Order: sequence, then structure tokens, then C-alpha cells
Amino acid sequence: MNEENFYQFSTLTVLALLVAFYGGTYLLTLLIKKKKENTDAFMVSNHQIGFGLGAASMTATWIWAASFYGAATSGYTYGISGPLHYGLWGALMILFIYPFGRRFRKLAPNAHTLGELIHARHGSSSQLILASSNILGSIISLMVNFTASGALVSVLSPLSFQAGVVIAGAGVLSYTLWSGFRASVLTDFAQLMAMMAVAILIIPAVMFALGGPGTLSDGMSLLTPEQANLFSMDAILNQGAPFFVAVLAYAIGNQTISQRLFAVREDHIKPTFITATIGYGAIVIGLGMIGLMALMTGMEPIDGDMNNLIPQMVSMYLSPVFIGLFFILVIGSLSSTADSDLSAMSAIVMADVYGKNIAKHKPDPTKMLFIGRLTMIVATLIGVILASFSMDILIMLVFVGALWGAIVFPVIASCFWDRVTNTAFTSAVIAGLVMFCVARFELMPLVGVVGGLFELLAAVGGGVVLGLMAFGFCGRRVGVIFGALSAIVLAYFCVGFLRDYTVLLASLMAYGVSTIVCIGVSLMSSSKFDFSQIDQKVINYDPAKTASQS
Amino acid sequence: MQTFILALYVLIWPLISLAIFAIIGVATVKDIRVARRDKRELV
Repeated sequence: MNEENFYQFSTLTVLALLVAFYGGTYLLTLLIKKKKENTDAFMVSNHQIGFGLGAASMTATWIWAASFYGAATSGYTYGISGPLHYGLWGALMILFIYPFGRRFRKLAPNAHTLGELIHARHGSSSQLILASSNILGSIISLMVNFTASGALVSVLSPLSFQAGVVIAGAGVLSYTLWSGFRASVLTDFAQLMAMMAVAILIIPAVMFALGGPGTLSDGMSLLTPEQANLFSMDAILNQGAPFFVAVLAYAIGNQTISQRLFAVREDHIKPTFITATIGYGAIVIGLGMIGLMALMTGMEPIDGDMNNLIPQMVSMYLSPVFIGLFFILVIGSLSSTADSDLSAMSAIVMADVYGKNIAKHKPDPTKMLFIGRLTMIVATLIGVILASFSMDILIMLVFVGALWGAIVFPVIASCFWDRVTNTAFTSAVIAGLVMFCVARFELMPLVGVVGGLFELLAAVGGGVVLGLMAFGFCGRRVGVIFGALSAIVLAYFCVGFLRDYTVLLASLMAYGVSTIVCIGVSLMSSSKFDFSQIDQKVINYDPAKTASQS
Repeated sequence: MQTFILALYVLIWPLISLAIFAIIGVATVKDIRVARRDKRELV
């Protein structure tokens, strides 16, 4: 099948491309390699990353292999608005974490993970909920990226799927292991520049290879009325809305983003986040246009597999040089995300698990570094094994998504409202997760009073998402009013309707229930937290810095 | 008109990418210069 439909590189060529990519990346990291790394640099580059590298790293981390395939699939399925409903909301995930990120950074300028901040605010149970959700998310991300490498290598060369998985795992680990986050940031820059250059060339190349703008205009006749509509309700409800709901959950639940937030120089946070938002949106929406162009030319994905869309288009219409560039584009995107996941997981285990819960007040920096590197090796092995055996992780994925949705309000509220307690945080997350499962797996029939109640809770969840976004940029009063009004309007439209969209209903319920429980339990306590304690509790681990801080 | 709008809709994204490419490239060169001037590491 492959040889008939996709361009085939020889084994030697594909190995040469992979060696050039990973070898070049490894050589790049030698520029910054130190015989003795320090822990803070290993986790957050001493909080001194500049605007250029910060924006590049943020963008490269957020773009993974699934971004291209997902955006193209969305373009092919939903037509004109499809790429926007994938790329725009993905980009806004970066933007919407920015106002909250500034608060996190203000409360804990020396933090390495968001978990450390939550530990200082609430203690171990809340911190470990956050840390475990971060680790699960990163393991899934690693597996998906290694899987993408295996799929790409097996489609475009005679090498096996497993070979692609193992090469990607070994390649990423080789350049990240010694210098950790520092290596990740530096290589992210090179990888992003390469990805952008390729995207800038490939998108117009495909369009003109198809016959130019005239062909697209002719292809409009192949689109259904919904696909031709920029404001398609089908695209909004099935693609845009679920993504929109996940905007804050992904940003809060993903340590790769908060790690960069704590690493960028404080005065560069705003331009970094804005540039990364626009950069991510442009690249991903642009590559999604390839899916739209496939639709407009009447192309059918091989075996009905949407992941074949971009490789198919590139193979059919472009020269081998462009196919090689496309290969590098995908390998670059998956590697930049995978190295960020390794750095994120190592920081979580170093700071959240060892630093805060095992070593308590006496963390040994040398031991921390060893633990961080060991974490990377173990995580890579797990990612390679899960990917190699193509294990079904759907359930894990569903739970992580729910967990992330349920922690959003408790995490944000904990950083702004002094009444939130550890009990409120923990019970809110558990309640949100339980109610998500009840709705997602339809453990209770979604009819009658139950269906209506769940839809009302989902409407509250929708109001929470919109209210938090308004709160982030416009302040508390606007956030509360906008959130409340949104919930009322959503309740009017949701009741009797949303039960048909179980994924959306359950995701919104996770937000709604966790918010209600968090507020309710917090109000039952009269204790108030002094936020200045956080800065005193979250410190650097490097001995020289710790001494100067004290 | 439709042809022009469609072409613009597809090609605007690589153009924006090009602008971001330039911004990040220039900013990184500045980062390197500042790091050298302050005698500290880039990352």
C-alpha cells in the first residue's frame, strides 16, 4: 500500500535524515553543556530566559505532531472554518494562561513548577493531585509523539513502526538528558526556526502545485453548505466548543507551559506569550489549510485514515526535496514537544516529589539532578513501550482531560482568593472528576430531571470558563458578572440540548461541579491565607542562590 | 473576488509565520548580545 500511495525514501536516506536531525541537535546542546549542571538551571534556566528564546520555546513546545494532523483533519472534515477551530483555540490556550501566569510568578518568583506553589498554598495532597495530572499528561504526550514518529517513518520508508518509535525516543533522550530544560529551550529555538521555514514554504507550494487559487475556487463546489460556511455550527459544536472548553484546562494542567512561565525573565512574559500565541496559530492553521485543500480537490484519505491526509498531499503534489522537508517538520515538532515533556516530568519529580515530599527541608542538589535524569530515562522507556505496542490509552486520556478540567478553578481560585482551603481544593477536584465520569460514561441515564440537572451544571461550567477568561484580562468584577450572565444564557440554551453532546457536557460539568464545591467548602471555613508565605516557602535549590536569598 | 479571498485565506498564515519567524530571530540575536554583554549564559 505504502509504495503505491506515498513517496518512499530508501532506508539509507531516512536514516541519514534522522541522524542529521538528532546529531545536529545533540551537537547544538554541546554549546551549553556544563560538566556540573545546577538544579535551578536544569529545571528553569535560573529564570533568565530572554524574549526570543522564550517565545520560540513556548511555540515549539505547544506544536506537536498531532497539531498538524488534527488541524488538517479539521480542515478536511469541517471545511473553511475547520483549521480555525483547531488552531485558534489551541493558540488561545497560550494567551489565556498569561494573566494567571503573571500572578503565579508574582506569588512564587523562584518556583520551578506550579505544584510547588500549590504545595506552599495548601500542602501535599493538593500539590500531588496537580503533579500526578501533569505527569500523566506528559506520558500521554510522549507516547503520542513517539507514535507519530513511528507512523511517519513506516509510511515514508521501508523501516518499521517500532524503529521510528525507538529512534525518536533515543534521539530526544540523548540531547535532553544532561542539561535538561536548558537543552530543551536551546533546541526548541532551532527546531522552531526549521519548522517555520518549512511551513512557510510548504503551504504555498501545495497550493500552487494543485493549480493555484483558481483550483480552490473551483473546488468550492465540492463543499457542503456547512463546510462552505465560515460560521458553521457543525464545526463550532463538534470541534470549536470542546477545544474552547479545554483552553484553560490544558494550559493549567501542563507543566511544559508553566515551566516556561517560570523560566522567562519576568519583564518578558507578556511579549513572549503574545508572540507564541500568534506563532502557534499561524503555523497550525496554515498547515490545516492542507486538509482544506485536500477537500477542495476531492482527495480521499487512504484507508479512510485522516492522519494520511498531509503525507498524501505532500507525496502526490511535491518533489522529494519538499517531502524531506516535511519529514523534518514532523520530526522537529514531535521532538520539541517530547523534550519539553521530559524536562517537565523531571522538574516535577525533582521539585514536587523529591524536594517537597521526600527530602522535605534538606534537598540534596546532586541527588536531585540524578533523580531528574533518571526520571527522563524511565519516562522515555514508558513512552517507547506504550507507543511500540500501540496501547489503547483512551481511558487514561479521558481521565487526564477530566482531571485537568476539575483542577482549573481550584488552582486559579487558590492563587487569588485567601479563603480557599486544602479541603476545598481536594474535595472540589474529586467531586468534579466523579461527576465527569457519571456524565461521560452515562452511568445515569441523561434524561428527565437528571439530564436537566447535568445540563444546568454544565452551564455553570461554561460560565466558569468564560468568567475566568474575562477575570484574567478585565479583573474580578467583570469576570464575576460576565461568568454569571454567561451561565444564565448557557442554561437557557443547554437544557434539553447538551445531553446529545456527552463529551462537551461532561467536560463542562467537571468545571461546574469543581467550582461549586470549591466555593461552598471554602465558605464553610473562616480561615484566611497570607499569600506572602508562598514566596518564603518556594525557594531555589542551588546552594549559592539559596544562601544569597536568605 | 472569491478566488482572491480564498488565496488570501490560505496564504495569510505562512505570511504571519514569516513575520513571527523574523521577530523571534531578531529577538534571539538581541538575547545573545545581551548575554555576552552581561557575561552570563544564554540559557
